[in-house]
Amino acid sequence: MKKAGWQPLWFILPTLLFIAVFSIWPIIQSFTYTFFDYQLNNQQKSGLYLSDRYNFDLFNETQTYVKLFMSEDRPHVTAEADRARIDGVLKQVDAANQQFKGKVKIQKISSAEEKQLSALDGRVTSVVQQINSKYKTPNGKNLAQVIKGYKESFIKSNFIGFRGYAQALTDPRLGNALWKTTLFTVVSVFIEFVLGLFLAMIMNKAIRGQGFIRTTSLIPWAIPTAVAALMWSYLYDGSSGIVANFFEKIGLVGNSSDLLLSAGGAMVSTIIADVWKTTPYMAILLLAGLQNIPESIYEAADIDGANKWQRFFRVTLPMLKPAILVALLFRTLDAFRVFDLIYVLTNGGPGGATESLSLYAYKTMFGQTNFGYGSVIVMLMFVCVAIIAVIFVKVLGTNLMDKN
Amino acid sequence: MKKTKLRTHWLGAALIVVFLFGMIFPFFWILITSFKPDGEIFGDGAFRIFAQHPTLNAYYEVLFNKNILTSVRNSLIVATTTTVYIIVIATFTAYAISRFRFPGKNLLLGLILAVSMFPQMIVVGPVYNMFLNLHLTNSFAVVLPYSTITLPIAVWILVTHFNQIPIALEESAKIDGASPLQILYKIVFPLAAPGVFTTAIIVFIAAWNEFLLTITLNSDSAYHTVPVAISFLRTQFQILWSEVSAATVIVTIPTLVIVLLFQKKIVSGLTSGGVKE
Amino acid sequence: MSKKWLSILAALTLATALLAGCGQNSSGSGSSAPAKKVVLKFAAQADSTPATKALIKAYNAQSKKYKVVWTQMTNDSAQMHDQLLTSLSSGSSEYDIISMDVVWAGEFAGGGYLQPLDSQLVKSSLTKDQFNQGSMISGNYQGKQYTLPFFPDVGLLYFRKDIVSSADAAKLTSGQYTYQDLGKLAAKYAGQKGTKYGLVYQSKQYEGLTVNLTEFSKSYKDTKTGLQTMHQFTTAKWAPNNLLNYTEAETATSFTQGASVFARNWPYQYGMIKTGGNGIKLKTGQVGIAPLPNGGSVGGWLLGINKNSKNAAGAWDFIKYVSGKSGQKILSTKGGYLPGYNALLKDQSVLKSNPLLSMPGFQKALATTIARPVSPKYNKVSDTIQIAAHKYLSSGTGLDSAVKTIQTAAGK
Repeated sequence: MKKAGWQPLWFILPTLLFIAVFSIWPIIQSFTYTFFDYQLNNQQKSGLYLSDRYNFDLFNETQTYVKLFMSEDRPHVTAEADRARIDGVLKQVDAANQQFKGKVKIQKISSAEEKQLSALDGRVTSVVQQINSKYKTPNGKNLAQVIKGYKESFIKSNFIGFRGYAQALTDPRLGNALWKTTLFTVVSVFIEFVLGLFLAMIMNKAIRGQGFIRTTSLIPWAIPTAVAALMWSYLYDGSSGIVANFFEKIGLVGNSSDLLLSAGGAMVSTIIADVWKTTPYMAILLLAGLQNIPESIYEAADIDGANKWQRFFRVTLPMLKPAILVALLFRTLDAFRVFDLIYVLTNGGPGGATESLSLYAYKTMFGQTNFGYGSVIVMLMFVCVAIIAVIFVKVLGTNLMDKN
Repeated sequence: MKKTKLRTHWLGAALIVVFLFGMIFPFFWILITSFKPDGEIFGDGAFRIFAQHPTLNAYYEVLFNKNILTSVRNSLIVATTTTVYIIVIATFTAYAISRFRFPGKNLLLGLILAVSMFPQMIVVGPVYNMFLNLHLTNSFAVVLPYSTITLPIAVWILVTHFNQIPIALEESAKIDGASPLQILYKIVFPLAAPGVFTTAIIVFIAAWNEFLLTITLNSDSAYHTVPVAISFLRTQFQILWSEVSAATVIVTIPTLVIVLLFQKKIVSGLTSGGVKE
Repeated sequence: MSKKWLSILAALTLATALLAGCGQNSSGSGSSAPAKKVVLKFAAQADSTPATKALIKAYNAQSKKYKVVWTQMTNDSAQMHDQLLTSLSSGSSEYDIISMDVVWAGEFAGGGYLQPLDSQLVKSSLTKDQFNQGSMISGNYQGKQYTLPFFPDVGLLYFRKDIVSSADAAKLTSGQYTYQDLGKLAAKYAGQKGTKYGLVYQSKQYEGLTVNLTEFSKSYKDTKTGLQTMHQFTTAKWAPNNLLNYTEAETATSFTQGASVFARNWPYQYGMIKTGGNGIKLKTGQVGIAPLPNGGSVGGWLLGINKNSKNAAGAWDFIKYVSGKSGQKILSTKGGYLPGYNALLKDQSVLKSNPLLSMPGFQKALATTIARPVSPKYNKVSDTIQIAAHKYLSSGTGLDSAVKTIQTAAGK
């Protein structure tokens, strides 16, 4: 191997650039989220705040509402003293508006301002409570809700350090998802590997109808995953799905409708769909490897009197090692991230029996808008996959690096 | 001896037939479904092989009212562009990794592998922000973030293939005064043809199948790709199964043609390469 | 640090310009607007009826200042939610007006992504009671009104008028019956006139299960009875054996193909029957509508303004139009949607175009709606309810713990 000064840098620079911008940058962001209680559905937590802040947008909104609702309710208040109370508090609201005029978004405030704003909150709250206890005004109930905005404008730091990770370690749902994902990955990748190798060897042989075999066996892979998942959900349909019906006929399930409703059935169903979809991918990767094996090696083996099985285990498999490594590695990484298929077919059901880590992370991030904890799940997922990858490279990878 | 050989031959053939049947059946069933009117897709008509009232209605609908061909065109543009540029940059990187010795090489391979371990959902948000700020949403610039799903595997496959090419040829070319670029494109690249085309198919299909990035970044229907267009074939409460089936059939054809073309190249790489020692 | 990023970005922009050059030039859908009008972007789901298109056309024709451009979103509502969340949380002003499912309003409002509308309502001298009550409640978070109705929806009981006796039909239409009564009727009529099943409704593990449980449990006032009834129905002889996998689609197929006597579904199913074709075997004359025993859940879609919109005044102008009389009339007559503007329920042309509206059973149903919880954490709440309910319904065990989990989640 050559030792070359700066030359390799030019060769790898484009890849580095792309990976930095479109992979590493997003990953770093997600990694940052894991240290915050970052939730998009809550204005006090929908940012990354290392120190305390004040939400002037919400403050201004609350002020507007207090003015609007109180002025609307004022005619319904009969006692002169209570009206004076309302007028008094409205004056304070106006004064505060004057003082903080032009302040928007989320900013830091001084402790004097903090005290002042708390006092305003207390004042408005007590008046609203007094009025509400005496009168039934049109906006009374709403007003009681609206003034919560004063307290919610104070933003405390939502930095939580490693607490997100600590929470994950005791999260039973995460443990379940990890186990289901591992089960799914191991079983489906193993079957795909066996079938994929079989398919690759067929494709590599000069037999009649080769063109037809190659084309048809690649169809599943050419169908977009999201669409394939939809297709399978129709095939597995409890009343009109042909595959579910077939399973019932041959006695695999007692009743076709149980297929996706029982824990085992749902897992098997997703594995079958995944195997169907990705076996061709495995085969393509292995086929390329098979074609790199020089014919001369087989000839040499033949001269040594090796039979078919010996040829396979002593020549084909060892020579295929790099291709197998890449195929298994990338398939395992893909299977570990399985999402579309499960999302469409079972949505993790029944009762979490098929919930993968990706699905759990997705539901946490986009469903519950908890990006902090969702990112923690993703990071733990990364750790698991990284371990798997290291094992693969250690077991299979020596000759990948050392060749030449 | 001859008899057993014949028997295994038949056994093998039967195995292949069963296997292929399994691979093709789901698609075959979708093909059948695409000719059924909606009323026969669920309920009594669901298990019939031939529709009682076969119809081309779904094909008409997706071709002329849902503009599926626009999305096929978009997908072809996106997938081809991705394939070309990913192959180019992955080739450079894989060649450097395979042929040069430089510090941090294994770290680089590990890094490339590591970034492909993260689920796509975390990439979408930051990339969306970036595209918004650069005014790149609703454009074919969506192919740039496709690198995150295609580049790692492309580099890895190419490295394994470059590694298997004997170095002797390059050495002699080098003596003749060829630059590393010339060596890469005149010698290594053609020799690694099966690997290059395998990578190309894989990148192409990955880009063809991508859904999340493109639907988030390109909300304008003029840029919808095939998976996105198919996800639109539903109403609020129902999936339009006949249209989904028809669209699936239609969009599978171009990919099969392309896969077939690439396939030929992979296999011909075996025979025409002529450098197997 | 930032310099390095800038240079990377600059390089990328160059590359992109090269790659996407052709595509960007040839697009221009919407950029060809007349120069004077301000363009408002409206993110709303695709519409299988011509109504939304007609609505936007009508608005653009009457507005001198604004031109609305519709970004069609997928009808896969979870996907649409994620897209909107990504866009809104990034602080983008990509969309000015947003169409949202009733259950998203609490979340988007809680996150501070929407502009409250009360001051605007006052300025335009509109009052909340002019609009569909259920929709307004769904868009009211912490006392502030964040949305106006795009179109409301309500859960209904469909029954076969040609099978159910007129006495039973009258009882159903009046709403004076319980789920137990309904179960008995289902057992009584199942099998008649080619039907296979008694009652079908949604109990797959998805949002529809929460909707149905809300109805069965009287808005979680009696979760235990609700769950027990659902389990009893699931295992009843007259129920399809895969009821636990039913969504609206399966329900509609079963009912419109004449396989079941009763079905719980949204008003769209009536439109399907009215349109006919596609294997639908029923005629509207065979179909009766009744309120559900404990009232029907409110569904449908709402309109709100993106807080970061640069054209908030225009966005309000559009919402006011769509949710107001003229907009709702277009949606109702051209698309068969329920009007969210109450006065239209007495409008002759609206009533004529949608026969559902003048049916007594339907009117009763509109008057007795119930809402799902409004919460910024709605998704988590609903998710918990679905999992606990589905687990119990599929196994028949663990009722008490399911009730406890669901009650806690629903905040009762």
